[in-house]
Amino acid sequence: MIAIYVCAGIAVYAALRVIFQRNTMRKLPFLNVVSFAVTGMIALLLPHPITIAAAAAYFVGSTLESNAIASTWAGGIKKDE
Amino acid sequence: MMIAEYPPEFLIGLVILVIGTIATAFPRPKDYLTRLINLEIPGWGLLLVMLSYNEALALFTFGAISVLSTYIYVRVMQKKAGGAGT
Amino acid sequence: MNEFVLVACTILVLIGTTAAMLERDPFNKLISLAVMISGIFPFIIDRGLLDVAIATALIAPLSTIFILMVCRRMPA
Repeated sequence: MIAIYVCAGIAVYAALRVIFQRNTMRKLPFLNVVSFAVTGMIALLLPHPITIAAAAAYFVGSTLESNAIASTWAGGIKKDE
Repeated sequence: MMIAEYPPEFLIGLVILVIGTIATAFPRPKDYLTRLINLEIPGWGLLLVMLSYNEALALFTFGAISVLSTYIYVRVMQKKAGGAGT
Repeated sequence: MNEFVLVACTILVLIGTTAAMLERDPFNKLISLAVMISGIFPFIIDRGLLDVAIATALIAPLSTIFILMVCRRMPA
């Protein structure tokens, strides 16, 4: 039961680091940390066998979203200069 | 657990719905893109309110239609603005 | 879902909503929106709607990618 508490604490700490960071490029690794911590919370929340499939789906979707934001941000700056 | 006879996701969903509606009605840079990003907030709030009624098919339909309407708004913005939407 | 996880997810959702309302750059708004969506997903799992959670987790990034198609046209 201590593992989900650790995941929740890491998620809240990384969310605060994301919000109070001013540089956009330094926000993105902590966004990934939030995603990993929430994936752990999803996997530990219910004792049901399909929960791991939901955690895997959320992991794939969240990583895709974060990397799409990072890729567009980097490409936009390169094309703008 | 229940807070004042309501499940907690109902109350959190109502709070997000009100905040997101105010943010969509009065966007800070008065822009199509800001308004579209703020429109995502009450969409998720409405999904969180609908979650407290245990209707799975309604949630499927709402998620699919939300993404489809976002795509239609993006196409309309690209066609109307012709590149620079400011 | 016990109280600690509930309070953590509520803090995550409210932080993401407030930051998405107050930010001005579109990329910072999308990052705050991703934090808010991360806080919403444990509520869907906790109701037991696992199929809805799988479908929503795979559909939700498409919305962000569609918005990023507009963000590319508009240099800040």
